[in-house]
Amino acid sequence: MQVGELVADPGPNAARVPAGTDLVEWYYERGWSDGLPVVPPTPEKVAATVAALGGEPQRVEARVPPRWGSLSREVLAINAVMAGCRPEYAPVVRAAMVAMCTTHFNLNGIQATTHMAAPLLVVNGPVRRQIGMNCAHNVFGPGNRANATIGRAIRLILLNVGGGRPGELDQSTLGQPGKYTYCIAENEEASPWPPYHVSRGYLPEDSTVFAIAAESPHSVTNHIADDPEGILDSIVSAMSTIAHNNAVSGGSCAVIIGPEHAATIGAHGWTRADVRSYLWMNTKNTFADVSFGHRYGRVYNRNLPRWYRRQPEARIPIVPRPEDIHVFVAGGGAGRFSAFVPGWGHMSSPVLRSLDGRPPPGDGGCEDGTCLL
Amino acid sequence: MRELIVYDPTGRIEVEPRPLAPRPSTVAGLRVGVLDNAKWKAGRLLERTVALLDEVGEVRHYRKESFSRNAAPELIARIAAENDLALTAIGD
Repeated sequence: MQVGELVADPGPNAARVPAGTDLVEWYYERGWSDGLPVVPPTPEKVAATVAALGGEPQRVEARVPPRWGSLSREVLAINAVMAGCRPEYAPVVRAAMVAMCTTHFNLNGIQATTHMAAPLLVVNGPVRRQIGMNCAHNVFGPGNRANATIGRAIRLILLNVGGGRPGELDQSTLGQPGKYTYCIAENEEASPWPPYHVSRGYLPEDSTVFAIAAESPHSVTNHIADDPEGILDSIVSAMSTIAHNNAVSGGSCAVIIGPEHAATIGAHGWTRADVRSYLWMNTKNTFADVSFGHRYGRVYNRNLPRWYRRQPEARIPIVPRPEDIHVFVAGGGAGRFSAFVPGWGHMSSPVLRSLDGRPPPGDGGCEDGTCLL
Repeated sequence: MRELIVYDPTGRIEVEPRPLAPRPSTVAGLRVGVLDNAKWKAGRLLERTVALLDEVGEVRHYRKESFSRNAAPELIARIAAENDLALTAIGD
């Protein structure tokens, strides 16, 4: 936009360049991109986004590791506009960043690790509809502005403010596509169960963001089973490998149940708690599996809980408790698919926050399960 | 001249970088705190490293709760109080 004298003081993060400058290239040249073109922020768009956050542009919402840059409302707005967000998406971006900058999420480690972990966001509550998020067909895929740009805004903040540049502070060996954007909403309307955030003690009219350090989703196909056990046994099969990080590092994971599977499971009277307990109880890894039968030297594995039996035949749950399997319903109405989303491990605890930053009321003083750490 | 406004999206750094402590010229007689970061092979790597230190003084061993999370401030304070130098390593 050409501003001339119209903007007397565009703020401490602004500078002026000659008219005619190719702004997309200007941001590329400074490394302020995820590799895709950014939307050049204008004073009007930044101001509208700051206003959606409650004004006070220099108020710091978080400090983002490992660079520990200050995420003021204005800096958040700049990144949100660059990602393509509309102003009304900004409170979701803020709640996600507040959740991710909670100490026990360990964003410092997630940014720097050689693992492919990326923060997966799951949004619940009325804000999903208010800002037009997709919780149905192709929920992990492209096509919805809110999902795509909220997830992208998170990544731009992790890159620009957090300094998580590949090969520098981000040492991930492979990365994964979710590091561009990884944001979905729960399909509360297609779920046989109360919304996820209600199961954690929030009111249905609250809106929340759940953040978990996660690998890519692993598709679970089951077109045969007409009962919960059969569907869940397919998810158990996806979980029962020694390749994902949960197998050797415990922690937490997510399971996304597609609406058709959810309808079958719900029709048999099974609750969300029944689902995660069944999954927790029936995964098949043994200590011999995760220790390679001591083929490479005697293994204890200090990253698994001390109360696990270290005998070869002992079953090793993929996460320590059923509550560490976070179950959501999402996806389109047709298709008997679900997804298993492995986590990063015990190094990070998933965090749930309301848009105004409140921790889960249902955790009874054990916020995000951290009293068990 | 008409101009365009651009923005720096990186945010200010308001934390102070801390300089490294002065390096000792010898380890002879010094108390060494060995911090195992709990990675798979960190313990073994540290054990062999300590064996290479000539005429080292007393050696004390410590362990982080998680390799990826920061060491607890109390643990760092204890290592600093009980030793002249600290040794740590990552070992996958």
